[in-house]
Amino acid sequence: MHNGSGADALVIQDLHVSVDGMPILKGIDLHVPKGEVHALMGPNGSGKSTLANTLMGHPAFEVTGGSVTFKGQDILELATDERARLGMFMAFQYPSEITGVRVSNFLRMALNAQREEEISAMEFRRLMMEKMRLLRMDMKFASRYLNEGFSGGEKKRNEILQMAVLQPELAILDETDSGLDIDALRIVADGVNTLRGADMATLVITHYQRLLNYIVPDVVHVLIDGRIARTGDKQLALELDESGYEAMTAAQEA
Amino acid sequence: MAIDARAPGLTRRAVDEVADAGQEPDWLRAHRRAAWDVYEATPNPERTDEEWRRTDLRWLRWESLTPASPLDSLDRVPSTAPAAALSPSVTMLISAGGARVIDISPEARAAGVVALDLAEAARTQPALVRERLSTTAVTPEQGKFQALNAALWQGGALVHVPRGAVLAQPILVVTCDDAALRQPHLLASLGAGAQAAIVEWWADAETDAPALVNGATELFADSGSHLTYTHVQGLSSGTRSILSQRALVRRDATFTSTNVTVGGRFHKARVEASLTEPGASAVMNGAFRLGSRQFVDHHTTQGHLATDGTSDLLFAGVLDGRARSVYAGTIVVDPKAQRTNAYQNNRNLLLNSGTRADSIPRLEIMADDVRCTHGATTSTLEPSHLYYLCSRGLSESQARELIVEGYFEAVLDRVPHEGVRDVLRGVLTAPASTRDGATGI
Ligand SMILES: Nc1ncnc2c1ncn2[C@@H]1O[C@H](COP(=O)(O)OP(=O)(O)OP(=O)(O)O)[C@@H](O)[C@H]1O
Ligand SMILES: [Mg+2]
Repeated sequence: MHNGSGADALVIQDLHVSVDGMPILKGIDLHVPKGEVHALMGPNGSGKSTLANTLMGHPAFEVTGGSVTFKGQDILELATDERARLGMFMAFQYPSEITGVRVSNFLRMALNAQREEEISAMEFRRLMMEKMRLLRMDMKFASRYLNEGFSGGEKKRNEILQMAVLQPELAILDETDSGLDIDALRIVADGVNTLRGADMATLVITHYQRLLNYIVPDVVHVLIDGRIARTGDKQLALELDESGYEAMTAAQEA
Repeated sequence: MAIDARAPGLTRRAVDEVADAGQEPDWLRAHRRAAWDVYEATPNPERTDEEWRRTDLRWLRWESLTPASPLDSLDRVPSTAPAAALSPSVTMLISAGGARVIDISPEARAAGVVALDLAEAARTQPALVRERLSTTAVTPEQGKFQALNAALWQGGALVHVPRGAVLAQPILVVTCDDAALRQPHLLASLGAGAQAAIVEWWADAETDAPALVNGATELFADSGSHLTYTHVQGLSSGTRSILSQRALVRRDATFTSTNVTVGGRFHKARVEASLTEPGASAVMNGAFRLGSRQFVDHHTTQGHLATDGTSDLLFAGVLDGRARSVYAGTIVVDPKAQRTNAYQNNRNLLLNSGTRADSIPRLEIMADDVRCTHGATTSTLEPSHLYYLCSRGLSESQARELIVEGYFEAVLDRVPHEGVRDVLRGVLTAPASTRDGATGI
């Protein structure tokens, strides 16, 4: 069933996470091998963003049990920036607007943070132009302040631009499809599919089966109340589209 | 009750000695003496004065102040001043011994730019000095420090850009000295329709000995002129400073001032623009970045004295360590000044819980057809912003620095001269370890 190279990029075992002492994730097991796309679906408030942010090391989320390794390395002790430099990336559900920080300056700094040798101004410009063309973003976004005044869809494209420039080994996309028009959806999917070919592991959080037509998942997981209630192939997403989570919750409780 | 401020060092006799040393004309000597009388008659600032309510002057020992000996003066531009980066059309250096022109471009020469030591100018160009020096913009009657400067300034400069002249490159005036008391005085004027940028830079000779700078800057923008003025306070960590800066802006002239404060341990600035004739406008920018126990107090005044004037002020500060700032901004609209537009905004970013920023707006509006707004915000670093930047691989300190730099962009965007803007960006973003005044404690 799994058609990746086999090597696990991300391994989550029995992960328990609390916020302010309140348990949100209650024992998650998840393996995402290199080159595979796993979709994570589930009702509002089930803990999808909590999982994504725990993986990125958000300080509000307290890991109370379990383990997470990435490329064989225990990452729970690492700071957020160290995880990023190890090759992890999350496209935010709600990206921050940061005034005065220009997209290109920021991205160049981010790229340099993970490189041995600083990229030259010329080379970086070329890279930005290439990626922005790929994502059909106007070059003017490069000199705009980070997400300030961006439309919802522009923010999401900007997340994918960052992914395309940084070329992570693990991408977690938290509802990147919400707010995107059909054309943008395709462009984003192309971006992911390109990197997937280069062995990137991907965890796609989404409410909509539509995205999965473009980024065809190897595995679909359904998260309900902090637990993975079901795991299946892309058919599972179609099934959910038909019957919703209600039926599944009922079936689980029965 | 004011304490008697007279002291062995600061005396009427010292006034005459300074006038002698500069071979100043009689009218200037009389001028200084009159200012000295005002100084003597003016009580020392007290905590009970509104202007000094939040600003502690207890460190000031009036009795130990003494005029600089001109032998103390230096003759080279300090490495901290960005003479090269700005490629100025004129470079002047002020110290207690006087002002010297280090460099003047053929362009500035051809345009007829006047750049002179102020005492010399009083002798040779009285028409440019006598009517204006301490008479209308910054006057002895405005306060103790203003009177002291008018009586005992040492090291003055006159800059004049004649009518219609347009200078592409800025005029740089660097004040640098190691004297314990420095009282520079800059008198700068643009003739009608002239256009120029003037950058005044306060630096220290390489010393950390405690010093006091009591400077005055008088600016005159004649009708239809465009004056871009920048003040950088880049003093070292032992130095305290008091700045009295005022521009008089005439009909249809535009004035843009930018005050950048990063150095010193104590800085008290009066920053004023008065729109004296119809159609004048002022953009007033301020940016300060403080650390350790630095204290900065800006009192700004947007003075609307005539119709159809516009003023737009933005002061932004970033405070770290145990730094403190006071911002008090007044908009004055004279009964005559109908159709005034005035905006005032003060923003502060507190990086540390040990910091504090006070912001006090004041409106004195005596005309009725006026649009006037003011706002003040004080914020702290948004953790979600740090997280976002760190999630892309930036270390926390890189992320903080990027956010702080970004905080100043709104101010820098308003600086019309690109070269000046770039230099100011450098002043505001230099790593703390290399910034005087931000080190220690
Ligand atoms: N910082 C926080 N403080 C308090 N509660 C939180 C916090 N973060 C998340 N929660 C709670 O944890 C639960 C899971 O939230 P999470 O954002 O992970 O859901 P989600 O599956 O991403 O939902 P959605 O589909 O709406 O994005 C919710 O009940 C939420 O209110
Ligand atoms: Mg979510």
